[in-house]
Amino acid sequence: MEVLNGWWDDYFWGALIVAKVFTASLSLMVLFGLIGAGAKLSENRVAQKIGGAYTVIFRGTPEILVILLLYYGSAIVLTSIVQVFNPDVRFVDVPPFWAGTIAIALIVGSYATETFRGAFLGVNPGSVEAARALGMSPLQTFIYIRIPEMWRIALPPFGNHMLSLIKDTALISIIGLNETLFVAKQAITVTGKPFTMYIVVGLIYLGFSTIITLAIMGVEKYGNRTTVGAR
Amino acid sequence: MSFDLNLIVESLPLMLAGIGITFKLLLVSGFLGLILAIVLLLMRISGKFYLNWLAQVYIYVFRGTPILVQIFIIYYGLPQFEGVRESIFWSLLREPTGCAILALTLNTGAYVSEILRGGVLSVDKGLLEAGSALGMSARHKFIYITTPLATRISLPAYSNDVISLLKSTALASTITIADMTGIARTIVADTYAPYEIFISLAIIYMIFTLGIQKLFGLIERYLSRYTRRED
Repeated sequence: MEVLNGWWDDYFWGALIVAKVFTASLSLMVLFGLIGAGAKLSENRVAQKIGGAYTVIFRGTPEILVILLLYYGSAIVLTSIVQVFNPDVRFVDVPPFWAGTIAIALIVGSYATETFRGAFLGVNPGSVEAARALGMSPLQTFIYIRIPEMWRIALPPFGNHMLSLIKDTALISIIGLNETLFVAKQAITVTGKPFTMYIVVGLIYLGFSTIITLAIMGVEKYGNRTTVGAR
Repeated sequence: MSFDLNLIVESLPLMLAGIGITFKLLLVSGFLGLILAIVLLLMRISGKFYLNWLAQVYIYVFRGTPILVQIFIIYYGLPQFEGVRESIFWSLLREPTGCAILALTLNTGAYVSEILRGGVLSVDKGLLEAGSALGMSARHKFIYITTPLATRISLPAYSNDVISLLKSTALASTITIADMTGIARTIVADTYAPYEIFISLAIIYMIFTLGIQKLFGLIERYLSRYTRRED
């Protein structure tokens, strides 16, 4: 364990970056998932097709490919744009943080699309009719009836998506984000103890997964507090 | 920036040369992972608390950490120990392919055993009671009632796991294996044409994903041929 002395702070900052990527990609993932579900559930044929293509593409492609494509692809586009104004510039890239965050949010968002779609379809039609009978507008029905009912249905699979998200953050080290795996690589070149260093990374992720699992359990309990005994 | 079609035509055969390795990783670790999953499942439903506990810890650890970290621990980490380098497994662990298969097997085994457990738990209790009434032993009930029904129930979830295993094989490229992704990354490093290469590779992966879905759809139809209603 003494080899780890002097590396704790690096691991801490790495873990903080993991947490940052996770938070940013979580909000984007929810956004992509809701947009995708909205597109798939809409009456519009084109939106349906786009939503369908989104889920097929991002669920059928390896995560690492999406990350590499987004990072190097966006770098090429950016470089060529910048070169129009300044031909001396050789290479411009999107920060790995954002390329990676958007990539994993797109991937897990495609899974969330299906979850949200299923959850919206799982809302009891009787509740919606009751809302209409009470004279609620479609927007009010959406906010007060559909959303509270759907998130309870979506919560268990959503917890799994959050776990995939935290684990996918490890992939961003491939495009050079200085998160925990990256720290471990540096530590290994200095200390020559790869097993110890990577085990620490594993433990950090295990900690994150545990926190997320416990949080989801708590939220589920809160969400079902009014339905306990009714089932 | 331009989209170079010739480059795609030139590099497709190169990438497809890696198909063998991708499939080897998928099939070998899929098969071994299934065996591991069955062992873990039997441990969990054995009724012996220490076996159940051991399997639960295993599943918790392997589902709670990123597969990339697991691959790195096995490939870079294990050689840290003298004992590993001198053991009979060294010939397997020295090769990146052996390490990737080991990591993928250990990972997918944890996920699949949970899927199988879900299938076993959802077998109708009444059928097992009927088995008891017919004087079947616990083992007979497991083999003749639980197994066929649980297989059918867990098949859709299992097909999803095979697809994520296919996507995980792409991570083998991070430990120098020349699977399809590994070859694509080499080509991109040479030509700097991420769009052409990565998008055509993504399409190849998507075709395989669809193929796996279709194959499991057929198996599912075959297994549930008795449950279809004649109409």
